[in-house]
Amino acid sequence: MQEKPSQPKPNSEEDIRIGVYVCHCGLNIAGSVNAEEVARFAATLPHVVVSKDNRYICSDQGQELIKSDIQEHKLNRVVVASCSPRLHEPTFRRACEEAGLNKYLFEMANIREQCSWVHLYEKEKATEKAKDLVRMAVAKAALLEPEEESEVPIIKKAMVIGGGVAGIQAALDLADTGYQVYLVEKEPSIGGRMAQLDKTFPTMDCSICILAPKMSDAGRHPNIELLTNSEVTEVKGYIGNFRVKVLKKPRHVTEECTACGDCARVCPITTPNEFDVGLATRRAIYTPFAQAVPSTYIIDRNLCLNKENIILCDKCIKACEARAIDFDMKPETVELEVGTIIVATGADVYDPTSLANYGYGKFPNVITSLEFERLINAGGPSGGNLIRPSDMQIPDTVAFIQCVGSRSDKGHLYCSNVCCMNTIKDSLLIKEHWPDTKIHVFYVDIRAYGKGFEDLYKRAKKEGVIFIRGLPSEIHEDRKINNLWLIGENTLQKELYKVNVGMVILSIGIEPRRDNELVQRLLTLSRNPDGFFMEAHPKLRPVDTPTGGVFLAGCAESPKDIKDSVTQASAAAARAGILMAKGRITAEAITPELIAENCTVCGLCARVCPYNAISVDKERKKTEIIEAACAGCGTCGAECPFDALIMRNFTDEQIYAQIDAATEQDADKKIMAFCCNWCSYAGADFAGVSRMQYPTNVRIIRTMCSGRVAPKFVESAFARGTAAVLVSGCHLGDCHYINANYQTKRRVEKLWKKMERLGLNKDRLQLAWFTAAEGEKFASKIKEMQEIVKNVSEEEIEKSKALLAKALPEKD
Amino acid sequence: MPLRIWRKPLDADKIKIPQAEIHIIKDRCKGCGFCIEFCPREVLETSEELNVRGVHPPKVKDENKCTLCHFCAAVCPDFAIFSIEKDCGGGC
Repeated sequence: MQEKPSQPKPNSEEDIRIGVYVCHCGLNIAGSVNAEEVARFAATLPHVVVSKDNRYICSDQGQELIKSDIQEHKLNRVVVASCSPRLHEPTFRRACEEAGLNKYLFEMANIREQCSWVHLYEKEKATEKAKDLVRMAVAKAALLEPEEESEVPIIKKAMVIGGGVAGIQAALDLADTGYQVYLVEKEPSIGGRMAQLDKTFPTMDCSICILAPKMSDAGRHPNIELLTNSEVTEVKGYIGNFRVKVLKKPRHVTEECTACGDCARVCPITTPNEFDVGLATRRAIYTPFAQAVPSTYIIDRNLCLNKENIILCDKCIKACEARAIDFDMKPETVELEVGTIIVATGADVYDPTSLANYGYGKFPNVITSLEFERLINAGGPSGGNLIRPSDMQIPDTVAFIQCVGSRSDKGHLYCSNVCCMNTIKDSLLIKEHWPDTKIHVFYVDIRAYGKGFEDLYKRAKKEGVIFIRGLPSEIHEDRKINNLWLIGENTLQKELYKVNVGMVILSIGIEPRRDNELVQRLLTLSRNPDGFFMEAHPKLRPVDTPTGGVFLAGCAESPKDIKDSVTQASAAAARAGILMAKGRITAEAITPELIAENCTVCGLCARVCPYNAISVDKERKKTEIIEAACAGCGTCGAECPFDALIMRNFTDEQIYAQIDAATEQDADKKIMAFCCNWCSYAGADFAGVSRMQYPTNVRIIRTMCSGRVAPKFVESAFARGTAAVLVSGCHLGDCHYINANYQTKRRVEKLWKKMERLGLNKDRLQLAWFTAAEGEKFASKIKEMQEIVKNVSEEEIEKSKALLAKALPEKD
Repeated sequence: MPLRIWRKPLDADKIKIPQAEIHIIKDRCKGCGFCIEFCPREVLETSEELNVRGVHPPKVKDENKCTLCHFCAAVCPDFAIFSIEKDCGGGC
């Protein structure tokens, strides 16, 4: 990490010169807030040397006004009272920088979204509130410090985890851009699920025919290093500078292998081939499929007769003319240094054995859609003949059952996205080979939502495929001929059906990989309740993860088809490429500063850090903040009992100053709300945008995360006589900082206990979760709290003031 | 690939693994038991009978499991055991 030498910080208080600018925003603010009055009031506040109101302060003229005032009045802090900082903070920060003022010396008071727009009809009260908001902003501004953003170099190498079609595409795109890529695959060959499929929808392209060239491109590319039969075991470091350990398991066959197959022919050990879902046999020395990349064979040491160091059977060694077999190969740990990581670990398929009513695993002629792909594939175990496993005959009638393991509480609740189209494709494949086959498709809904999907669906109907809405409730087997009876209700015609077919194909869903939890831990990712990895933002950052420098592609993120996987892979490669092309990244200066003399190396901060960005070395008595890994949530600062961590731009002093300013007048009628930048503050903004009206007595303090809200802030608000306090953040599981809001929950619960113990009314402290779209919920929460405020007695306020006085910061 | 593998592979009957014929020259055996111990497929076991040297020679438990690795022949100190491929011309 490189840090620029920091500028000397202004030391004495008398130097502080604040300029305040109150915006009318046309009538958006001035319609319900008397902006001139607010500006006149601001002029009376300490350190304020200039205070002006302006019609549109964000306009070029408005910005010029600020810039010239900075020069003329030697301003060293600027406060703008206008819209939400989420909208124009960058604009004004830039203006300050252009006038030579450090951008961290700028503060905003949100008097539009959180004042004028939500109190449209209470001009007087809204003006009073705007004054309070300006007072809070000025109080904070006086304590702002100039900050330098640190720069981190980015290693121009990438790692892609998972060699399915998404991983291959991402690796190829990055490699073609010119970056070195390590493609790590757990299985002996890249190719993934797509290699197992026969045809792809909606174009009916042969799957392996379009995939194999990409696989060999990836295998041959000078910028791609393939690490197959390998697993990532450790990831350390942070964006731009990851140190990764990869365990390369031995193949026991060297690259001299010519893939002639002589070894496999003599190998005496056979087992079902996983690639063919157990429908064909492989040997202990094998290649998973003909087009495997690398084509080098592999020895399955769990099956091979040769254990440890004893060579009992040397048939393959004798058969191999290239002398490529080496039983002495050992597992090897490779250490890589990469700047970005793309997670393309893919998905598993649902195992329908647990659905006893469908008889999978009991009735030989009930197969899964993946088994179907291998059977219908010309290179598969049956040479492309759709045969019944019971008698190897081609059935006259088949039935597809949709949503097996999807959209049901018996499997997974979500839709697996690909099964409808896959079945339609499969039914057309059957019709193509055996046009007289009678095909029934039992479905819940047919979701043919993509480009060309509806046409394919229509084609299937035209070809005579019978679609019946309503899944069979059970399947019975005719023991003599192994035919199957499907019994259920046609929900469109409201009548029962009993259909006899020769074969049933269960259209199984996609599920998260079992080892997702391990990947999640290695890379500090988050997963949704279904178990798939979460994107940083579902709309605007769909391939980023909460961890900087880590991106998602393919089914690891959610079930998707090949086209979507490839699209996402290219997007992930572009996102990773942007970082690497820049070569360095600046970190917003909201990370903690360690005061070493206060630190006791207790490790509490490291325990609550969602990013492992704090390393605590108890032996060497050293705590270290890895700034590039830190996202600035501030939960460490809230946890530290020794004031050893200063959260830059959200310091304890600044927050206390805001609390003090907000409680200067009529504290006993006010609600102090702590809102996190990403969800609850944005939710409050949204209430404003939607003009949802709520009581004027709430004062919002913005923190990056609710995890920043230290219990002492809440206590000090009560000690200052505040009637009620609201702590709010993103919904649990949706935290912008992985899981920091769980710390919020824990701290508030602890505070409730303390309040109960002290005999205080714990309803005065509320905890609520809002998304950025839940403006309505925010407004109604404030209305609800207004009732609490009304019922808080004077004695109660005095009692809390007295009991919690200790929480007030020491004044000089 | 977590989909449970439970079927008999379709080609299971077509895969031809050479069948073994195990020959034990009982009276050469001195009963060291190496062949029994080292056989990777556990094809052999001690028999009840006594040979001319007064020891229990091995006997074949399950000839079908033999993979013709010939390791028994390699470890036998007395050249008392060997395996050959069965002539399956007429079908085994």
